[in-house]
Amino acid sequence: MAQIGTFPDHPALKGIAPPRGRLAGLRSIEGSRAFPALLLAPIMIFFLVWNVVPLVWLLGVSFYKYKVTSSREPAYVGFDNFTDLWRSSEIWGLIGRTLTFMVTSVGLATLLGVLLGLLFWGSGKMPGRRLALTLLFTPMVLPPIAVGTFYRLIYEPSFGVVNHFTQAVIGRRFDFLGDKNLAFGATIAVDVWMWTPFMILMTLAALGSVPKAELEAAEVDRLPWLKRLWYIVLPHGKFILMLGILLRTIDAFKTTDLPYLMTNGGPGNLTEFVGLSLYRTGFEAFQMGDASALAVVTLLVAIAFTSIYLYVLNYRETRAQLT
Amino acid sequence: MSEQRAGWTQGLYHAVLWLIALVFFAPVFWIILAAFKSSGDLVSPEFRFFFTPTLDNIGKVLAAPNFNIRLTMSFVMSIGSVLLAILIAFLAAYSFSRYRPTGTNFIMFLLLSVRMVPAPAVLVPLFLMYSALGWTGSFLGMLFFYVMFSIPFSLWILKGFLDGVSLRFDETALVNGGSRLHAIFRVVLPQVKPGLIAAAIFNLIFVWNEFIFNYILGGQTTTMIPYIFATGLKQGGATDWTFIAALSTIYVLPPIVMIYLFQKYLLVGMTFGTVRGEV
Repeated sequence: MAQIGTFPDHPALKGIAPPRGRLAGLRSIEGSRAFPALLLAPIMIFFLVWNVVPLVWLLGVSFYKYKVTSSREPAYVGFDNFTDLWRSSEIWGLIGRTLTFMVTSVGLATLLGVLLGLLFWGSGKMPGRRLALTLLFTPMVLPPIAVGTFYRLIYEPSFGVVNHFTQAVIGRRFDFLGDKNLAFGATIAVDVWMWTPFMILMTLAALGSVPKAELEAAEVDRLPWLKRLWYIVLPHGKFILMLGILLRTIDAFKTTDLPYLMTNGGPGNLTEFVGLSLYRTGFEAFQMGDASALAVVTLLVAIAFTSIYLYVLNYRETRAQLT
Repeated sequence: MSEQRAGWTQGLYHAVLWLIALVFFAPVFWIILAAFKSSGDLVSPEFRFFFTPTLDNIGKVLAAPNFNIRLTMSFVMSIGSVLLAILIAFLAAYSFSRYRPTGTNFIMFLLLSVRMVPAPAVLVPLFLMYSALGWTGSFLGMLFFYVMFSIPFSLWILKGFLDGVSLRFDETALVNGGSRLHAIFRVVLPQVKPGLIAAAIFNLIFVWNEFIFNYILGGQTTTMIPYIFATGLKQGGATDWTFIAALSTIYVLPPIVMIYLFQKYLLVGMTFGTVRGEV
C-alpha cells in the first residue's frame, strides 16, 4: 500500500518502525481528537496571558481616572476618559499630525520606491548585486531608536554633516530638528529614507509577479513602454504593491521610537504622533486612564488596518486560484 | 528590461544602481566613520574629510558600565525568545494548517492585529499587569514578553509555508508506520526550512531592534543595548557624540550582516510571510 501516491524512498522516511510499548500509548494521544488542541496549548497560554489579560485590563482601566504616581485610589468615571478625549483640543491636532505624517511619508516612500524599483528591475546581472542590495536595503532593518539618535548628529546645527553641505552650498546653517518650520519635514525625510528601500523591495516583488510570457508577448508586439506598464505590469503587480503600501501605512501609524530620541515630539508637539503621545500620557504624565482610552481607540484603528490588509491579501489569493 | 544592452550602456546602468545603493547607505557610513573619529574631528565646525582613525570610542563603549550586561541581554533575549517562539508557532501552525480548527482565521487575525498596534498602546496595560504581578525587571517576564512579541509573525510565516506542503507528506509518513510526531518533526519540518529561517532571522532583527517595551518593562539586569541610548541622551548634560556614534555602529552591525547573509528571505520576512518570493 506504500505505492499509492507515496514516495517510500524519501530520506525522511528512514528509521520508521511500528510503535511498540510506551510509543503505542503516545500513538493513541496523537490519534485522539484532543491532539490538535494539544499542539495549540502553548500558543493559547501565551495568547491568554500576554494578549487577552492585558486587553481586558486595558478596557477596565479606560473607565477609571488613574494616576500611577498619585496615592489616590483609581476612581470609576464611566465613559469620561473617552468623552474627554473627544472634546480635548489636542486630539484633533494629534490626529491631524499623525495623518499628515502617514500620508506624506508613505506617499513619498511609495513614489520614490516605485521609480527606483522600476530602475532596479533589470539589475539581475549587476556586479556585486548582493552587496549593493544589502547597502540599499540597510535603512529598513536598522533599529529606529539608533536611527533617531544618529540623525541628531547628522542634523546637528553647528557640526552636523547636513549643515556642512548647506553652509557650502547656500552659506547658511539650519537647526533642522529645533526649528518649527523644519522639524516636521526633517522627521519625514528620515522616515522616507528608512522606508523607501522597503517600497523598492515591494516594487521588485510586484514586478517579479508579472508572468514572463506576457512580457515576452509585449516585447514581440513592440508595445510602447508606458503601455506595457499600464496593461501588463500594473494588473499583475498592483496587489503586492497595495500590500506594501498598506504595511507601510500600518508601520507609519506605529511610529514611536524614531521621534522619541530624535525630537522627543518637539519642537512643542509638532512631531508628536499617536504612539509618542500615548507614551507620554502613560509614562511621563502617568495618566493611565486617559492613556488607556486613547489606546483603545488606537487598537480599533489597528484592527481596521489589519482587516483591510487581510482583505486585499485574500482577494489576491482567491484571484490567483481562479486564474 | 529584457532588451540587450550594449557594453557601456550596461556599465553606466550598473554604475547608476550602485550609486543609488551608496546614497541610501551614506548616512550609516557617515556614522561608522564618526565612530572612528576623535572628538575634535567630529565636532569640528569645518568639514574635515581626512582624519586620523582612533579606536578610543569603541574602547569607551566596551568599557562603559553595564555594557557587557546590555550586550549579553540583547543576544540572550533575541535568540532565546525567537527559538521558543518558533517552536510554539510551528506547533500551532501545524495544527492550524492540518486540522483547521474552528476559529483558525480569527485567532490568526487577532494575533496579527496586536502586532499592528503602536507599541505604547500595548505597553500601557502590560506595564500595569507586570507591576501588579511584580514581573517588571524579571528575566522570564522580559523573555516571555519577547516570545509573545515574536509569535505572530512566526505563526504567519510558518502557516504560509505549511499550507504549501502537500498533505501527502504527512500521509506517507503515517502510512509507512511513522508516528504523528515523526511526521511533524522529521517529515514536514524539513520541508518548511526556508520558513523557519525567515521567521528566525526577521524576529531576531525585530527583537534586537525593539526599544520601548524593554525600556519600561526591563530592570537593571534585563535591559538591552538601546537602553544606553535613552539614558545617555535623556539625563541632561552634554551629549558625548563619539560615544553615541561608536555605540550605534556596534548596535546596527548585526542586522546589516543578517540581511547580507540571508538576503533571499528579505521579502518573506519583511511581509511576515504574506508575500513569498525572492528579489
